[in-house]
Amino acid sequence: MPLRFSGLGDLERAVMDTLWAHGPGLTVREVHERLSDRDLAYTTVMTVLDRLAKKDLTTREREGRAWRYSPAHSREELTAASMRSGLQSLDSTDRRQAMLHFLGDAEPGEIADLKAALAEVERRHD
Amino acid sequence: MSYAAVTALVVLAVGLSTLAPCLLAPVTGLRRSPGATLLLWQSASLAAVAAALLAAPVAAWGAGSRHPALLALAVLVSGGMALRLLVSGHRVGTGLRRLRSHHRDLVDLIAAPRDRPAIGLPAGRGLRVLDHPSPTAYCLPGHRGRIVLSAGTLDRLGPEELTAVLAHERAHLAARHDLVLELFSVLHHAVPARVRCEAALSEVHLLVEALADRRALHVTGPVPLARALVTLHEAAHPDATLGAGTTTARTRARLELIAAADAPRRWQSVLMVTSSLVVGLTPWLIAVAGL
Repeated sequence: MPLRFSGLGDLERAVMDTLWAHGPGLTVREVHERLSDRDLAYTTVMTVLDRLAKKDLTTREREGRAWRYSPAHSREELTAASMRSGLQSLDSTDRRQAMLHFLGDAEPGEIADLKAALAEVERRHD
Repeated sequence: MSYAAVTALVVLAVGLSTLAPCLLAPVTGLRRSPGATLLLWQSASLAAVAAALLAAPVAAWGAGSRHPALLALAVLVSGGMALRLLVSGHRVGTGLRRLRSHHRDLVDLIAAPRDRPAIGLPAGRGLRVLDHPSPTAYCLPGHRGRIVLSAGTLDRLGPEELTAVLAHERAHLAARHDLVLELFSVLHHAVPARVRCEAALSEVHLLVEALADRRALHVTGPVPLARALVTLHEAAHPDATLGAGTTTARTRARLELIAAADAPRRWQSVLMVTSSLVVGLTPWLIAVAGL
């Protein structure tokens, strides 16, 4: 099923999924074997693992003549890191300020305030 | 050569780049016309840049060719400001692009594309769903735009509310609101830190959100959009979500604008005319200065 991969992003995802499921500490050959139904060249898997290491998404240790690759972060950690918006993050100062605002703002009184504002929208438009 | 016109040009440059943002930001009544108000902000910014870059050369030129040192100084002053702008543009631009490209890689890595429609979820190539119980909804603007939702968002929002959220994020992507914000961010950081107006940057952010809300209002009407905003805000987990406009004050302001959505919009034409006048001010002053 070679058509299942439309780009490098899909390949990287498949390789990371393999590392998460069967890692840590897989060699290129082991990853290649796990992905055998995808009909990929060995060198392709090697290139993808190398790219992922350069992006700090995997870590690697030498064992004899082969590298052993492990995920640098768990899937849960990466998901939590991706929960934050990109549009607002103009620079680190802005982000920190927004975060401080946010932490300071999460109070029941203010939620009640928003509910009142929502009730006003519903009153006017329902 | 009119000294009054040259003085006015200098006053315009300083006033528009330092004073005007702080004066304009608290005028919350303008939020009801977000598009026209953003136009005014952009015009004022453009005029500030033009006046700041041209004030010194115009003044020196007016003083006559007897003072070549003065002219050199003026060119130096303008060159310094132009350099500051370019550096700020470069820093903000490359920083944003690196951040977003990294973010997009990450999202693509952990969330499969949703090309096929799921329950209550329309098809969309750039749509990604994160497997996380907290709700979030945001977009990653740029060449290959993405709209990112979480499983928590799909759980909590009804179909109509989801449509409103998607319409809001699509409006950000389609109208390239990121570029509008990037311009203001570049100018904000080009001004010396002591005279920067944080309220101004925050206000243009809110205006951009209000503009995207208007798109969503056309699609679903006010109630689903307002409900979605409150649900997303209420259930947001502090260390997980920083979606579009998550501060309570900002969400509150957006709800008030949504409530007043069908009220007649005044000031639209006034804002448009003021915008053109502000842009025309610099060339007019230069003409009066006798060049």
